[in-house]
Amino acid sequence: MMEPAGDALIQEDHELIELSFPAHPDLVVLARFAAATVAARAGFDVEEIEDLRLAVDELFVSLGPMTRNACVRIELDRRGDTVSIVSSFEGVTARSAMERAMGQQDETWEKAAELSELLLDSLVDEHGRETRSGGPVAWLSKRRSFAQ
Amino acid sequence: MPDHSVSQAAELHEGMPVVVVTGEIDLAVAPSLRESLTELLAAGHCNIFVDLIDATFLDSIALGVLVGALEQCREAGGDLKLLVTEPRILRVLEITGLSATFSIHSSRDEVSSSNSNGGLRERLEEASQQ
Repeated sequence: MMEPAGDALIQEDHELIELSFPAHPDLVVLARFAAATVAARAGFDVEEIEDLRLAVDELFVSLGPMTRNACVRIELDRRGDTVSIVSSFEGVTARSAMERAMGQQDETWEKAAELSELLLDSLVDEHGRETRSGGPVAWLSKRRSFAQ
Repeated sequence: MPDHSVSQAAELHEGMPVVVVTGEIDLAVAPSLRESLTELLAAGHCNIFVDLIDATFLDSIALGVLVGALEQCREAGGDLKLLVTEPRILRVLEITGLSATFSIHSSRDEVSSSNSNGGLRERLEEASQQ
């Protein structure tokens, strides 16, 4: 499920990992695990790794409720002491599985979106959300704090 | 298997029903937390105690659920109190400004002995230093 993007990219100071899984909340833990692994390889300390685990979770909040029959795609790009993560949905067409699970709880998502913005502001160096190829994309970048 | 759970304790604490949350509370677990809190509110409870002592991770969706329940409790004249000792969860509450919104305690005994956020400031400072 998780594989390097190509041998040419497996270098000491640059790694690109691509991960794709069905858009189901139970599987977001995979993204947290991948983020923690990449952060550790970038030399992040324990607190920074925990920050990135939470931040990658918040990227999914930025994207909005998960959608049945869709896939989550996440790219983790480590360049030296900086980790950049881009997450997106593929095949977003159906009603949200998360909305179904939580009922019509848009208010919860509204509250979460505000809180998520505050968390990302604090946890990472840069983050954003945009639309690419008609779908939402959320991204972040975090540099090891003690990097020279 | 994921190491998390949301359960409603059979016993009351200081007359308040207790929801015990353990492990990583994220997109996957937040619906269970919401369901548990919604059941209590529907049953007429407006004072609820959420035990996060064994919770290790809390994201904004879970926070949104707690904030929603807090608002409903207070609208009904009650309160939703949190029991938190995990530094990372305290930090999340601090970052989002919710440490000043919730009544946060470090033990059930502390809830019994005081209505204030006893020792919270010190614990938040410890969490921010980590």
